[in-house]
Amino acid sequence: MVGPKKKGLVFRYLFAIVLLLIMIYPYIYMVLNSFADWSQVDKKFFPTEYSLKSWEWLLGGGESVIPRPWINAFFNSFLVSAGSTILMMVSAVMVSYALAKIQFKGRDTVNNVILFQMFFPAIILLIPTFLVIQKVGMYDSYWGMILPKAMSLWAVFMYTNFFKAIPDTFIEAAKLDGASELQIMFKIVLPMSKSITTVIFLFLFMERWTELLWDMLVAKSDNMLTLNVLLSQMFGPYGGYPGPMYAASVLLTLPIIIIFLLFAKKFREGMQFTLK
Amino acid sequence: MSKNQGWLGWLFASPYLLYAIIFFLLPLVWSLFLSVTDWNLISPTYSFVGIDNYTAALKSQGVQSAFFVTFKFMAVFVPLVIAFSIIVALIVQGLPRFKGLFLIGFFLPYLASGVVSSLIVKGILSYNSPLNEFLRGFGIDINWLGSPFAALFVVALIIAWKFTGYYALILTSGFESISKDVYEAALIDGVTPWQRFWKITFPLLYPALFTVLILSIGVTFGIFTEVYQLTGGGPNFATNTWQMEIFTKAFSNLQAGYASAIAIIASIVTFIAIYIIRKLLELWGKRNGWT
Repeated sequence: MVGPKKKGLVFRYLFAIVLLLIMIYPYIYMVLNSFADWSQVDKKFFPTEYSLKSWEWLLGGGESVIPRPWINAFFNSFLVSAGSTILMMVSAVMVSYALAKIQFKGRDTVNNVILFQMFFPAIILLIPTFLVIQKVGMYDSYWGMILPKAMSLWAVFMYTNFFKAIPDTFIEAAKLDGASELQIMFKIVLPMSKSITTVIFLFLFMERWTELLWDMLVAKSDNMLTLNVLLSQMFGPYGGYPGPMYAASVLLTLPIIIIFLLFAKKFREGMQFTLK
Repeated sequence: MSKNQGWLGWLFASPYLLYAIIFFLLPLVWSLFLSVTDWNLISPTYSFVGIDNYTAALKSQGVQSAFFVTFKFMAVFVPLVIAFSIIVALIVQGLPRFKGLFLIGFFLPYLASGVVSSLIVKGILSYNSPLNEFLRGFGIDINWLGSPFAALFVVALIIAWKFTGYYALILTSGFESISKDVYEAALIDGVTPWQRFWKITFPLLYPALFTVLILSIGVTFGIFTEVYQLTGGGPNFATNTWQMEIFTKAFSNLQAGYASAIAIIASIVTFIAIYIIRKLLELWGKRNGWT
């Protein structure tokens, strides 16, 4: 009875591992090719000769007018993504707290407007939002990349649902002890929301980190480009340098994977709540 | 709660109000205004052209292709990603241990930037790539990004690769709600695995599947990065999505007025299409007694 069952289990795990390897093969291909000798890039499923030439190219000059363009772009990406994500988190917590836990006239209206905007196709806003940024002089600036992405309605929606599930009695009790609304938010509500905060943070940060269209429109100067935009421009339709292209791809992908794996456990917990 | 909290509520909600005025209402009105002008994004002057932009747009190959390409993407991408994510979810569900670890592993493609995945795929599909050499060994020689259907398929596949793990995660939470008793009862009744999937697993999975369907259909209306990076909308408009069309017209051809009209058409089409598909899905689920 135990024998065949165990065999089936081994087979299942093997199958799952093979499938997982196929799924992450593009990443493996990317990493191997970034270290491959230039004569072997895109020539073998698993390169046999390796060199650091691609990485030297990337971290050195890398065919650009400004010194160390890739390090600079990495810094830009980080600044823009961190700035945007922090603002999205702070604004979402504030607005959701108001919608879920403060009673005020017009709350339902605000709620309905947010829902309406959420289901509104955002493509219509692209051109005029660009014009708004241009008119206020934020074209080719960090703020121009950050501010239009300083608020996430999805995050507001998620937090509002979560905060609503926190019993009012906690908050009433704290109020009787003389706690202010801000104290309640930071000392009671937020500590209870750790796992959902992790989920929202990860989704927002990785979405911002991999944004192309908006940053491409706003960033103009060579020293303002984000990593994703530089990667897209440098290795566009006619781009050469396949080796460095893979190295740059690793540079873009690695940080987000590390951040994700660091929070993976909390992420799983949080996802279980959000999917209920 | 006390009544003098009115100002406090508005204070906490103020980030949204500010944001909605500057980045929603103002652009919305501006967009409608632009769509009836011939403004070229740079010139200080412009003139009103009435509904000319709309009539020209509806007749243009760009807009017509965007309309159909979106549905073609839907027809390829949605079945692909649904099949992949169900397979992944079923496999992970069959593992007694390390379920979480595998789910995290399958989720990793979701972290890839569209630019990165497109560049990798471009490398994998380049003429002398190992894959193409391998296929030529069997006499198969495909110009992946040069033929209309193959290009569309490649882009759909990249996006399906990205979303599979995420959707599998949603589906596994659906599986977890299916109780073991139902399965055991079915086993006793001598139901085949095929029947078991369609008669038991599928209906119980339907709520989670509905979420995944709606999400994946939404994705098809917003495809840009992969197309921009790989095909530029080609060959011959075969992968020209709404976003690609609007981007090209507004920022490459500098036809801001005309592109605004396209954006408005795109929004209306998107809104109506998603609404109808959603209703149909709900009806389908109800008729079969799944919801």
